[in-house]
Amino acid sequence: MQTTYDAIIIGAGHNGLCLAAYLARAGLKTAIVERRHEEGGGANTEDPVVPGFRFNLHANYMEFFDIMPMIKDFDLENCGLRSITPENQAGIAFSDGRPPIVLHRKDLLDKTHASISRYSKADADTYVEIQKRTKDFGPLLAFGMYSLPFDGMAEGQAMLLEQMYGDWGITAKDAIKTPKVMIDELYESPEMRTLMYRVSVEFGVGVDTAGFASMILLAVPWMVGCWRLAKGGTHTLAKAMSQACYAHGVDLIENTEVDRIIVEDGRAVGVVARGTEFRATKCVATNADPKQTLIEQVGEEHLPANWVRRAKNFRFGPSHVLATPMFCLYDAPDYKSARWDPDINKTHYTVVGYDGPEDCIRYIRDAYSGIVPQPAAGTWVNSLWDPSQAPPGRHAATGWYFFPSASELSTEEWEEVRETYNDRFLDRWAQFAPNMTRDNVIADELYTPDQMERKNYMWEGDFSNGEMALDQMFANRPWPEAATYRLGVDGLYLCGPSAYPGGGMHAAPGYNAYKAIAEDLDLPSPVVTERGY
Amino acid sequence: MPDVYTTPWYEAVKEAINNAVAELPNAPTDSFTIQAEIVGDGASPYVSDGDTLRFLIRLEGGQCAWYREIDADDPSVKLDYRFTGPATVFDEIAAAAQDPIDAALSGAIKVRGDMRFLMRQAEMVQVLLDAYSKRVDTTWPNGRPPYNGVG
Amino acid sequence: MTLKDTYDAIIIGAGHNGLTLGAYLARSGLDVIVLERRHEEGGGLCSEEVTRAGFVHNMHANYHTFVDMAPPVADLDVRGHGIEYVRPEVQMASIFDDGSALTIHTDMEKTLASMSRFNEEDAATFERLYGEAHGFVDLLLGTLMYQPPLNVKELTKALATFGVEDRSEFLSVKLRRETINQFLDRHFKDDRIKAHLAFHGAVCAYTNDVPGLAIGYPLLVGKIDNWHICLGGSHRLAHALWRDLAQHGGVMWSDAEVTNIVVDGNRAVGVRLADGIELHARKLVASTVSVEQTFLEFVDPGDIPEEFAHDVKTKVVHKDWSLFSVHLAMSAFPEYVAAEFDPDVNRAWVVNLGIDSPAKLNRDWAEIRAGRLVDPQPNAAVNSLYDPTDAPPGFATGLLRQFAPFALADGGEGAWDDMGRWYGQKCIDTWRRYAPNLTDDAIVEWSVFTPHDIARKLPNMVRGDWMMGEISLANMLDTRPLPELGQYRTPVEGLYMAGSTQHPHGFITFGPGYNALQVIAEDLDIEKWWQQI
Repeated sequence: MQTTYDAIIIGAGHNGLCLAAYLARAGLKTAIVERRHEEGGGANTEDPVVPGFRFNLHANYMEFFDIMPMIKDFDLENCGLRSITPENQAGIAFSDGRPPIVLHRKDLLDKTHASISRYSKADADTYVEIQKRTKDFGPLLAFGMYSLPFDGMAEGQAMLLEQMYGDWGITAKDAIKTPKVMIDELYESPEMRTLMYRVSVEFGVGVDTAGFASMILLAVPWMVGCWRLAKGGTHTLAKAMSQACYAHGVDLIENTEVDRIIVEDGRAVGVVARGTEFRATKCVATNADPKQTLIEQVGEEHLPANWVRRAKNFRFGPSHVLATPMFCLYDAPDYKSARWDPDINKTHYTVVGYDGPEDCIRYIRDAYSGIVPQPAAGTWVNSLWDPSQAPPGRHAATGWYFFPSASELSTEEWEEVRETYNDRFLDRWAQFAPNMTRDNVIADELYTPDQMERKNYMWEGDFSNGEMALDQMFANRPWPEAATYRLGVDGLYLCGPSAYPGGGMHAAPGYNAYKAIAEDLDLPSPVVTERGY
Repeated sequence: MPDVYTTPWYEAVKEAINNAVAELPNAPTDSFTIQAEIVGDGASPYVSDGDTLRFLIRLEGGQCAWYREIDADDPSVKLDYRFTGPATVFDEIAAAAQDPIDAALSGAIKVRGDMRFLMRQAEMVQVLLDAYSKRVDTTWPNGRPPYNGVG
Repeated sequence: MTLKDTYDAIIIGAGHNGLTLGAYLARSGLDVIVLERRHEEGGGLCSEEVTRAGFVHNMHANYHTFVDMAPPVADLDVRGHGIEYVRPEVQMASIFDDGSALTIHTDMEKTLASMSRFNEEDAATFERLYGEAHGFVDLLLGTLMYQPPLNVKELTKALATFGVEDRSEFLSVKLRRETINQFLDRHFKDDRIKAHLAFHGAVCAYTNDVPGLAIGYPLLVGKIDNWHICLGGSHRLAHALWRDLAQHGGVMWSDAEVTNIVVDGNRAVGVRLADGIELHARKLVASTVSVEQTFLEFVDPGDIPEEFAHDVKTKVVHKDWSLFSVHLAMSAFPEYVAAEFDPDVNRAWVVNLGIDSPAKLNRDWAEIRAGRLVDPQPNAAVNSLYDPTDAPPGFATGLLRQFAPFALADGGEGAWDDMGRWYGQKCIDTWRRYAPNLTDDAIVEWSVFTPHDIARKLPNMVRGDWMMGEISLANMLDTRPLPELGQYRTPVEGLYMAGSTQHPHGFITFGPGYNALQVIAEDLDIEKWWQQI
């Protein structure tokens, strides 16, 4: 087995795969050293409950396929990547059978308008107008995402807000608001507010986190409307990316946990993993978080004091800590609200468990403060769109529960949650969709934040592996000195979600890390002129 | 009465094989090339310990078309079979002191190549081996196998 | 990007045979695509975290017994792809109800010493049997496994010509009428030794009471000490094979369910996928899935002779028993009571629990074939004894396997869904009788994988048939799975069978894929670069 490479990447998450592919294409002999037996990290699909019912344990929806450079640069379609963009993107149902709200694909805004109008014509006008104004936001968003972060990004976003919505009286100063405040200002109906709260937190944007108001008017509405699911499950994205890597000669060394990053003369020159020394003649990059990387694998002695302090205080959770239930169903949920609009029974992402904004806000705040909230979820029944994800005629339903950070509960308490919470959620679900009784469930399991830590080293069960707060965002992620993917030791780079722009199936940290490495090693730029990034 | 592993001996082997196969009622028409590898084992006085004596035999329609000793694998020759084993075992076979089929079955001689042909042509294989083992009157200038304490 | 829809070779199924064939063809310069229905490649090479995160369980293939015997291991540079095989020092053990235990070691002296404690004469017999079998194992592998098959008459005739019967104490033409039980009775005396040897046959799918299987038994003994663990889970081997394929220009698509094989003028020219994509094959289509799927589902009835279709429907024979598995995440390694008798049992990889005589196994077969569950006497494999990467430090994975019917007399295979957990507990209870330290506290989590699950996960394993075709004399060599298909060719030109339905059989042999390659190479005039003689 080869042990000397030009580049060694720690972790075969989708960002590591992305970086590996670009490095290999630039002619570097590249290896990825992966702790687990499987590639993909959060791009993970399994059928552990009953064979044939597939569940995405982490990432579920794909909103960046149109802008993600690697998909085109490496022709992932011919590596097996296919996707579906459901017509009915996001919705909310109610336990009393009130009409649902269904947000449709961008080409179906009339339907969206009609749906919201059941509650408020004004809300419908607002939402549809935001959709229209953000329709072509993709390239701009992409330019921001697939660039090394620079100072002033937050301010730039605030100015963009004013530029796009100044006629509504919205100014740059509004950007400091929390998502909740902005949602409340934009929408009057309790139903729409509830849906929008929940939709925004799915992205890891804390509903009460100051400074994220612009998300509600820019990125979030752009994303809702182009949600896709990867055919076969999210893991097929990782498969296609691996395929592209292999075609360019990348080696993937599984089941090999890195113990130490070798630093010689102030330069990262390799890793020690399960007793074997792998040498990297040009660079080492890691998908892991900077705290583990610098404190445990590099060692404080190689770092300036302020880097040690920064690294030790990098925060995980609580605003994106999730649990994933897996339900093997006979039938898909049939909502009471469907008598008004059958589309809610075939909506990609359906919010279940809140009858009003208070329910949703209490739920989120409970989760953030270490309390297991009253049962509710954003749910997906991917088999409605992609029959391959369940046996014929059956359905695989999953969802996200917002939960306390892993360390907030003891092992026994998590055990208890795993044994009871799905039942509690089902009781609630059946109030919204009466067929969702135990009899409709073939089997179920719950994947909790403590398990997520163990499986993917997403600490605290934080989907973004580092809290998304302004002081850990943009050019502050993971901290200002490390924002350009260079990790304080020559030849060592950060390429995972702890770097800008954070978690999500966009592979931007991997792509940007390549840009940084390319600058340092004089490799070809990945930028495609007509694309602009 | 040729000395083992000398040109006259190879000639004698060739003649023995050709005569034996000619007697076969249904000799196959196939052609194939065999490489024998006789590995010095410290006991045989004919191949030094650590050395390997290699020779090629080309059979066409059951008749030996040519043979030659080689120092190393000849990449220009496409082999159909390779027989490898300790010199003691090869010597004993040539001296009819060990049965070649036994040697193959016990793993003492490793055989590589398409076994199906060897199985389908079992009769011819048997005849060939008999000829090699029993029909050549070999002389053993440095001592005749089995050697003391070996085999 | 446009979808590339034409390849030289299309291979259905990314199990180890499909990937092996694909990799060889890709290395031969063909443009290859391998299509996998599941979201994951590997087929029976599937390792999953079904209990808890961090515990990697082999759901199907656990034992790699053809390492360094199968040509692809070297030809495809499996070790260069990072595969690490471990050959446990204590390979297997049987623990008997009288408190004694028999251990099989890689060190034959130790095996013989263990057997001598039961019967010295038997130990001497075993030494001769092993010596003889080990001697001709290479020849047998070359003759029988890694070549398209001879027919049984040719084989018998050759054995007679070579006088094998007179030369061998154990090999004889009459073995083709005998059961393994008869073979053991003829040569051995002690029931416990015979029980272990019969069990060894059964775990290799050679059921000890089936007439004719004695003929294969010496080969099993010849590799009785060649059992290997694939470090990090058997699935790693699938990754390695896929990587080899992809690094040589081939492609593997996951979630690519074939629904049709397209035939034009009695020639296979492509396939259609469930999502409508049609792919064309310039040179060949190879199926590694079941005969039934290939010819009753994929090929249009009009494209094959009626008589052949009839044979497929009526003459394909499946195993009459299957496997029930319990996967355990454990915080302790088993400490057997029998360690007082032989301390090495605590280091034995696979432990056969309480089968004291072949008669006991025979009684179980009768029950199992009648669709009834037997009082479980499972075998227990603890890979973590030799694999530090399949469980978190200080923890272990466990695998209990019990011979079991596919369909239960009472309720059919569907009944497994209700019985699985109950039967799993009984298996654990049995294990605990022999290893009392495995209390509930020592078991973190466990889950069952029933025969029904096998068929649901891998429908190519029809009726939970993990060998993809009965192991019997009538279903061996060139009559496996049907005489029409015995040489990997099919009634449709350009369509080949290359999976475990073919000679030699299931298990991680690489044989079917490798042998189909020989036939394809002959038909397509591909230079056999891999045959380094």
